[in-house]
Amino acid sequence: MGDISFGATVNMLKDAGAGAGEAQLAIANNIANVNTPAFKRTDVTFKEALAAELPRYDDSTDLAMVTDDPKQIPGGPNFEAQPFSVTSTLDDTQQMRVDGSNVDVDQEMAKLSINSAYSQTMSTLLSTQYTRIREAIQEKA
Amino acid sequence: MGLYSSIEVSASGLSAERLAMDVIANNLANVNTTRTPEGGSFKRQLVIFAQKQEVDPNASLNPMDSSSNADPGKSRDGVEAVGIVNDPSPDRLVYDPNHPDADANGYVHMPNVDVVKEMVDMISASRAYQANVSAIQEARSMGSAALNILKS
Repeated sequence: MGDISFGATVNMLKDAGAGAGEAQLAIANNIANVNTPAFKRTDVTFKEALAAELPRYDDSTDLAMVTDDPKQIPGGPNFEAQPFSVTSTLDDTQQMRVDGSNVDVDQEMAKLSINSAYSQTMSTLLSTQYTRIREAIQEKA
Repeated sequence: MGLYSSIEVSASGLSAERLAMDVIANNLANVNTTRTPEGGSFKRQLVIFAQKQEVDPNASLNPMDSSSNADPGKSRDGVEAVGIVNDPSPDRLVYDPNHPDADANGYVHMPNVDVVKEMVDMISASRAYQANVSAIQEARSMGSAALNILKS
């Protein structure tokens, strides 16, 4: 949804939050299958894709607002709505247990809390961003 | 998909681990049982866990159509207990000629339940249950943080 843009930051944070949601699903599945023989864990990577698409979130490309004063901020909704790609890969590199499973529950718990903290950070940032937008709309600080 | 499916995945883990706990408790309760409806002594039971495969509603109903099979690498539907099987290992033989269930040589066929093994399995199931509970709690806090975006 880039057509009515509240800024590139909102779009980027939205994609980051969506990526964290996908990662949460994969980690939950790995933890649920911790006692499943021959289970191979899934890894979700989205931060690389997010970094690679950073220019796409940049407001200052071709359709930026015209400015005639350096104090003016060049903005403009030219964010192109594209499906944000989350890649999930099957990790079969190493074996953790005798039954062929490669889930290390300690590692998954660490990933779980990192992912949760990341997601909540993104939510807080998004909330701050919306507060700023609301302040701009209501003309009060 | 979304935040709630992650909780469903963890819930499947919870019910699978709870079933494992039930079976372990049953094994421990029957550690000295020499009579069963099937005849003979009690046999130790094991739960078989398998990765739950997602069912594509658009897939063809023909089971021979291999293209309808979900890619196992993409399946994120949690875990399910696909069966409870008997442990085929031999019975524990205890020499007690006065026991009513002793055989001709005076040996009683006791269940093949090893209490230590069951205890270890119980710890494993209990820890896995706790891990799934933690995953649900994290998903919940992520969800409530997302719901609070528009507050403030």
